[in-house]
Amino acid sequence: MTFTVGIDVGSTYTKALILNDQFEIAGRAMNRTGFKLAEISRLTYEQALTQAGLESSDVAYVISTGFGRHQVSFSDVAVTDLTASARGANLLFPETRTILDVGGQTMKASRIDPSAKVKSFRLNDKCAAGTGAFLEKTARYMGFTADEIGPLAATSKVPVTISGVCAVFAESEVINQLSLGAAPADIMHGAISSLVDRAVQLMKRVKLEPAFTLIGGILRFETMARLIRGHLQAEVNVPAPDMVQFTTALGAAILGHRRLTKLRENGLRENGARQNSG
Amino acid sequence: MNAPVFHEWRNKPLDEVLYECREMLEDTTFPTVRRWREAGGKIIGHFQVYFPEEIVHAAGLLPVKIRGAQVEAIQADSRFGSYLCSILKTSLELALSKRIEMEMFVTHPICDAARNLAAVWGRNFSYPCQILYLPQNANSSHAAVYLRGEYDRLKRAVEEISGQTVGDNALRSSIAVYNENRALLRELYAIKRQTPWLISADEAYALVAIGGVIPREEHNDLLRVVLPMVRERNAKPKDKVRVVFEGGFCEQPPLDLIRAIARSCYVVDDDLLIGMRWILEDVPLEGDPLMNLAEAYIEKSSYSPVQHDLRKPKEKMLLNRIKASGADAAIITAAKMCEPGLEEQVAYTRALDEAGIPYFVGEFEENMTSFDNMEIQLETFVENLLFA
Repeated sequence: MTFTVGIDVGSTYTKALILNDQFEIAGRAMNRTGFKLAEISRLTYEQALTQAGLESSDVAYVISTGFGRHQVSFSDVAVTDLTASARGANLLFPETRTILDVGGQTMKASRIDPSAKVKSFRLNDKCAAGTGAFLEKTARYMGFTADEIGPLAATSKVPVTISGVCAVFAESEVINQLSLGAAPADIMHGAISSLVDRAVQLMKRVKLEPAFTLIGGILRFETMARLIRGHLQAEVNVPAPDMVQFTTALGAAILGHRRLTKLRENGLRENGARQNSG
Repeated sequence: MNAPVFHEWRNKPLDEVLYECREMLEDTTFPTVRRWREAGGKIIGHFQVYFPEEIVHAAGLLPVKIRGAQVEAIQADSRFGSYLCSILKTSLELALSKRIEMEMFVTHPICDAARNLAAVWGRNFSYPCQILYLPQNANSSHAAVYLRGEYDRLKRAVEEISGQTVGDNALRSSIAVYNENRALLRELYAIKRQTPWLISADEAYALVAIGGVIPREEHNDLLRVVLPMVRERNAKPKDKVRVVFEGGFCEQPPLDLIRAIARSCYVVDDDLLIGMRWILEDVPLEGDPLMNLAEAYIEKSSYSPVQHDLRKPKEKMLLNRIKASGADAAIITAAKMCEPGLEEQVAYTRALDEAGIPYFVGEFEENMTSFDNMEIQLETFVENLLFA
């Protein structure tokens, strides 16, 4: 059995996923990324190996992806999260043509073809506006944790309008709404709604086509998918809650198998990196 | 000879040595050049690419590669048209702002803009500003004799600056120092080709480039210590695409751009700083040293878009470089506004198309500070090669 590993070093969470050659998940792990990217990627990799009951010598190929992809010294190659997400979304929902990936500090929309090649993509601006960081800060200012965002927004009765998506200015807007008597649940819902407006704009810029697949940590919150569905007036695919954050790592692991197949076809190697001579 | 001008790297582990080289290289006050002058040494500044540093070295002077820098051309901008490449402006800026002070400046007619540099320079400084006229027709049977005459003229100009005659034995000693340097640089490039995971493109670049601002003996000392350390380095081979980088023969891309390329590719060969290693083999020590140097330019020099030799069609030479280095693909770039570089892109890309070799075309400027777009385009190119 051949195993590959995808390691997605995201701005907020680092995920590792081990995939066998039947495309079955053998193990996975996730940790908060923090500031030591090399260490956390190694730890997450080892935790996934432990869960799978494997040694690193059992792994034929490692692909790193995500914002910290170049910090993973033990990977065979690094790929962009756009390419990895496309493969992951394609495996989970083969009809996918447009992907929205909302993470802790980035938001990406991409359009892919039936073979999971990226045809067009757009990224958010360099700031954290309209990303998970904005929602987290909004929740924190009201005394809630990130894990409470989903349940809180779900109880909203009269959503308020949040005009901006700047993580820095969120505090003043939240204080203003609270002073006007708005309920935290309604403010949270308004924040998610504001983020969704931005997400849909991004999707339109890549000339969105159905089917739509939504991935990334923010999609843990059901409200987000529901609002996007309403905006698009179309069904959207969302991976199962335990996979929504692992889709990009899954795609990286799939690419690992694809790369191994190509290397074997070319007779370049069975295991370890390619050793061309100059 | 003066005391060492670059000592920060000594007795340090490899990563710190590379760090010190990079720091020194990116210091736009040019501490090594300043130290040489403060010790009473004299400087001959020369424009990039085909310059016989041995002649200056033999006179006891420090030849310094004037190849621009990441500085704002505040004063120099007024001396040039906006349609000219950046390296001309920042090179003059280095002199006008007194970051580099010298006793003579030499350029050569590698392109129209470079040829005019001596005249522009000469209007701003009282010291000699010369053009070294390289043969326009390297295929003429008289080219070597002609070039020997030019080298002799340069030697006499250098003698006036140094106040001493440069004899054949002094020239031979300098040629020997440079032969060793060329051999060490060839060894570095062999590491890049054979085990590119041991040294990244930006690290190798820093190791080569530092030689342009320190005496070549010191550069030899550095390389003699560092190369065995590189070979002993513990680094995991990655499954990166092997590329040849073409387009860095004169104006240099920022180190950060080279680093960005190195993140997704192994640069197994390139024309970066070709002016540091344009003579491809040892120059003989026997016989007439000036003639030997002249023949080295005619018979043993690297191709580039600013050399015109019918025996070396550039697109064929590029294909040879790709084949010899075992590269999978090429990165074809040119500095912004560089006419020779941009012209060659046409021939290069056609030849690569015909040979079925994938390539990535880009443009750079020494003062650029944002690499995100180019990096993501390059990563997409690489991913297409890896997973197609």
